[in-house]
Amino acid sequence: MAIKLEKVTETFYLKLEEGKIMGRKCPKCGAVEFPPVYACNTCGNLETEWYEISGNAKMHSIVMPAALSSKPEYKALGKYAYGEIELEEGSRFNGVVRGMTKKKRKQLLEEGKLPVPVKAAIYQRDGYKTVVFDLVEE
Amino acid sequence: MAVMNQTKINPYLRSVSIIGVGCTPFMYTVDHEETNGLTEGEMFGYAALKAMEDAGVSPKDVDFYFHGEASPLNNSNYLTPNIQVANWFGMKGKASIHHSEACCTGYYAIEQAVNAVASGKYNCVLSGCIEFGDSVAVPNHPYKREKMTMEKFLQTTAWLYERGYTRSFMAGQELIYDDAAEWYKRTRNLTDEQMDDTLNHMCITNRKNAAVNPLSITKKTYEEEAKEHGFEDVMDYMRSPFNPKMGDLLRAGGIEIKCDGAAAVIVCATDMVDKYMGNKSHKPIEVLGVGCAACEAITPHFEVTATEEAVRQVYEVTGVKPEEIDIFYANDFIITSHLISAEIAGYLPYGEGWKYICEGRTAYDGDKPINTNGGRTSFGHAHAASGMADLYECVLQMRGDAGAGQVKKIPKTGMLRGYGGAQNICTYIIRTLE
Repeated sequence: MAIKLEKVTETFYLKLEEGKIMGRKCPKCGAVEFPPVYACNTCGNLETEWYEISGNAKMHSIVMPAALSSKPEYKALGKYAYGEIELEEGSRFNGVVRGMTKKKRKQLLEEGKLPVPVKAAIYQRDGYKTVVFDLVEE
Repeated sequence: MAVMNQTKINPYLRSVSIIGVGCTPFMYTVDHEETNGLTEGEMFGYAALKAMEDAGVSPKDVDFYFHGEASPLNNSNYLTPNIQVANWFGMKGKASIHHSEACCTGYYAIEQAVNAVASGKYNCVLSGCIEFGDSVAVPNHPYKREKMTMEKFLQTTAWLYERGYTRSFMAGQELIYDDAAEWYKRTRNLTDEQMDDTLNHMCITNRKNAAVNPLSITKKTYEEEAKEHGFEDVMDYMRSPFNPKMGDLLRAGGIEIKCDGAAAVIVCATDMVDKYMGNKSHKPIEVLGVGCAACEAITPHFEVTATEEAVRQVYEVTGVKPEEIDIFYANDFIITSHLISAEIAGYLPYGEGWKYICEGRTAYDGDKPINTNGGRTSFGHAHAASGMADLYECVLQMRGDAGAGQVKKIPKTGMLRGYGGAQNICTYIIRTLE
């Protein structure tokens, strides 16, 4: 490999159009960067390589949308929440999880069921596709 | 925990001290005849000259200045806004630089000024910050301003977040409001009611502090406000629709009051304070160290994570222990910052901070004072200038010059934790020189 001036962001979104969710894997330490970037934040290696993620993940925290923290276009998501997502490949980031309600959150917290399994999905926004997650029902 | 890089910072090459501070009132300039039409040069210039006067220096003594403004293009019709103001405070021809770290600007203003002196390049530096958070310059008019509409404000705050993924993923920019409260409530096992009360008590304390501060934008306590609305118990008022839930956990009272303001500081090499301060009687305050970190908003618990790293750095480089901190400031444009940063810094004990707050111990007359000026929800939030206004207040407290809001025991050591734009964290420790 060599350090390349590469359109990583565009490639990520073009792959979503093909139904693939891509991250970048460090050839040195194996850590996966998601969303994909050039370098490895785990070991500091200067390069990473394209890697298709499985989409299997866990949600570690749950914040419900409210007046301050929602936008009219988010209504199309249906019921949803924000939170910390951890991919099975290890990356952690903030994302949206569909299918979460206040009632479900209460139940999960009371039963000590966090983190809860979620699955990545490709979601159409205005003009491009992005990645959200769906609660995996038991 | 997300992957987090760490930085080892080194002691300064030479000691740097704060010798002068200045601050405007935090205000809605366009709402009042006597302030409507104030310009960038006048606001920044006033704060700069007050800091020079306080330090006992003239503009001729000051080698360089830093200029902080979070959103100069939107608010002031300026790019490179440092250039446009120099003549107002007698520094024509002297070099300067502009910086913007959103709401953390006023904290990074210290980091940069101290580095400039500690490196040996300059001996005496001005660092000032300004923001018109409530108004925007009328284009093509020399001094008129108009109110900032919420639509315009929200348009500009959207620029704070990374374009490629964060905005697209729809979560990071929304989590700024409730993430820290969710994190605290979950990790400390608080009930919904305990968390709600804690958030409300912070608002009440901030307002109590602001009510006795001459420069704050709010003067009425929540107790007074509650009575006006027919509530005998202030907590009933805070839990009522008069203080509506705006976030998952956050209520209206826990959100910044955006306004206009400017503040400035003069720092110099500690071994030169006698030369600069002349016959000034106040003691210089040494900047012992500054810790900085930044987590872009796609990072889980970005404020918490970056605060932990910045606090680790500043304690490591200074050798100061949490129990040595006498007074604490947190940029709390979301009120939760006040609690979580004080606990992360060890100023309040782990898992117990919320109790200190609910017992009123963090008010200016308590034993663990925090944000004695009233913080962002009551002193006001002139975005870039807020951190510098916190330093102004902290310096007055450490001199014993804070008037009606003076804390009981004059603080010797203070910690200030800046946060802004969901990204930057800057924490520093200052101590009065004996």
